[in-house]
Amino acid sequence: MSESERVRQEYTQSPIILTTARILAPFVLTYGLFITFHGADSPGGGFQGGVIIATTVYLLAFTFGVEPTSTWVGHRSMAILAAGGVIIFTGIGFATMALGGNFLEYAEFVAILDLPENEVVKWGMEAVEIGGIAAIIAGVVMALVFLTAGGYGPERGEEP
Amino acid sequence: MIDSFAELAPAILVGLPILAAAFPLLLGRLWTRIGWWISLVTTLAMTGIAAVLAYSVHVNDAVHHHLGGFAPPIGIELVADALSVWFAFLIAATATVVLAYTYQGGPRGRAFSSVYLLLIGGLMGIALTGDLFNLFVFLEITGIAAYSLIAARQHRDAAYAALKYLIIGTVGATLYLIGVAYLFMATGSLNMVDVSASLAGGGSADIGVPLYDEMLVRAAFAFIFAGLATKVALFPVHSWQPDAYSEAPDAVTVILSALVSTVAAYALIRVTFTVFTPAFFEVTPAATTAIVTLGVVSALVGSILAVLQSRIKRMIAYSSVAQFGLVVAAIGVATGPIPAEFALAGAIIHLIGHAIMKGGIFAAAGAIAASTGARTVQEYAALARRRPGLAACVAVLGFALVGVPPSIGFIGKWYIALGAVESEMWLVAVVVFISTLLTLGYVARLLERMYFILPEDAPSAVVTDGGDGVSIGMLLVVVLAVALTVVLGFLGGPLFELVDPYIQEVLHG
Repeated sequence: MSESERVRQEYTQSPIILTTARILAPFVLTYGLFITFHGADSPGGGFQGGVIIATTVYLLAFTFGVEPTSTWVGHRSMAILAAGGVIIFTGIGFATMALGGNFLEYAEFVAILDLPENEVVKWGMEAVEIGGIAAIIAGVVMALVFLTAGGYGPERGEEP
Repeated sequence: MIDSFAELAPAILVGLPILAAAFPLLLGRLWTRIGWWISLVTTLAMTGIAAVLAYSVHVNDAVHHHLGGFAPPIGIELVADALSVWFAFLIAATATVVLAYTYQGGPRGRAFSSVYLLLIGGLMGIALTGDLFNLFVFLEITGIAAYSLIAARQHRDAAYAALKYLIIGTVGATLYLIGVAYLFMATGSLNMVDVSASLAGGGSADIGVPLYDEMLVRAAFAFIFAGLATKVALFPVHSWQPDAYSEAPDAVTVILSALVSTVAAYALIRVTFTVFTPAFFEVTPAATTAIVTLGVVSALVGSILAVLQSRIKRMIAYSSVAQFGLVVAAIGVATGPIPAEFALAGAIIHLIGHAIMKGGIFAAAGAIAASTGARTVQEYAALARRRPGLAACVAVLGFALVGVPPSIGFIGKWYIALGAVESEMWLVAVVVFISTLLTLGYVARLLERMYFILPEDAPSAVVTDGGDGVSIGMLLVVVLAVALTVVLGFLGGPLFELVDPYIQEVLHG
């Protein structure tokens, strides 16, 4: 039995789940983005939004099986999301210090952005929320589920 | 120039390792070794920055960095004062030195480098934050990084130890958080200095009367102490620690034993003296009794359990339970009715000394295991013939741990005992003495095995492992620890001078 056949047997495609996922997935993703893009000046935020975005991928994993979904998303893109988010977050923090302020003092961006100060602060915060936190959370939560579902692999009990 | 840089230094010290942690993950595919080099450059830079910051704070004044430009008590601030800079420097320097061990000794790989840097970032955050909730966040970062570093050995016992640490550590952090929540209920603030002022009746709460005798505040201290005691690994909430130390990869044990519990004990000092202040303990003497009792019990039980162990790493791990018991007992003594400067100085110096000595012993144990395969007291037989240099290092560090002068171990214990006598807590002085005898008990057992067992008596199973896995980096770590232990032993006075500004500030206002 080939690998793909085994996978197909493990995850029998159910028309009910498939239909539900097909209808729900776009809405869940939109809702996740909606929450992510709020946060600086309205209720919402990158943390919650990132989790909801990641649940879209869960939904796909329920429908099509963990392994195909994991391959489709790719380990590399999850690592890039998580690590890139960290770089954006701390990068913005250090950028404000380079401009002469404190860590994450968004108001310093008035020096390079042609916007009033409250707008600058808002966009700085949005950049951290969307580019930093949401990306980190989405990447890590996806990776966590795939790692947990993937199991510990072959027994690595003995000292290498 | 130095001043304006020092203003930014706390944020750089915390942010830099976290930023650097992202790169091994991204670049590790190109070149597997790059994680190590990124870690080295980062930790070297941090050591330099911490040194400049320490100098600036020593010469000028404490540095406050308001994150995001929001002023406390609303904003979060990072504070580098006469106490935190020394721990910041200890963290950065130790992180650099341990890298020398991992170059050949492992663990390696991009995930390890990333998590290692996250651990350093978390520890740095604990050392430098001036905000109670922020401290919780960094405790969690440190904890999660530590759990996964232990599991890096990929052995089922290591996985079990990591899970045990995760469960107990999370409970500890949660207890701490409950305490912080109670303090927030009482004062409406999370900034350490502001909470302290509010508890005294002023601050942003400005109630007008001290809140020290409120049940809420007392419960807050109890929860915070219980939470941090778990992280410090005091008896009876130490049970995660021997497993974690003995099952982790050797290099990880070095960094865990040198920094993780140490920084948790630092947090305990910070909360006890900066937030609650001796005035709280004047109103609540039971808190002093509780701290001293738990510290004393931990010192005795930890030593006895250490004597009973047959595996080296477990033995040294239980010895840490005992040493941290002494440190906590000294913290308790310093909160007593008679202000005991020496006790607090002893707690701080013994913390730093313990970090150096334990890091050194674990590094030596790792190097010995790598070169001879010996991991039990039994297998250390006649080690002095096979590995005279390493055996001598273990002997020196062992004597330092007992408290034989000249060594940093002696200075720490001396100040603790002096403080106990000064504040007339005779029990603590007696316990320092008894625990020294018990320490001698397990160190002497090791020395007897290494030096006085003839090779023909030695179990042959040990010798079969002919492969010499010991690297120059490992030996460097051990030798550096031995040198520091002995040299600092001559510098008891200057060490006291370094921490004295903080002690004067918290004990005499």
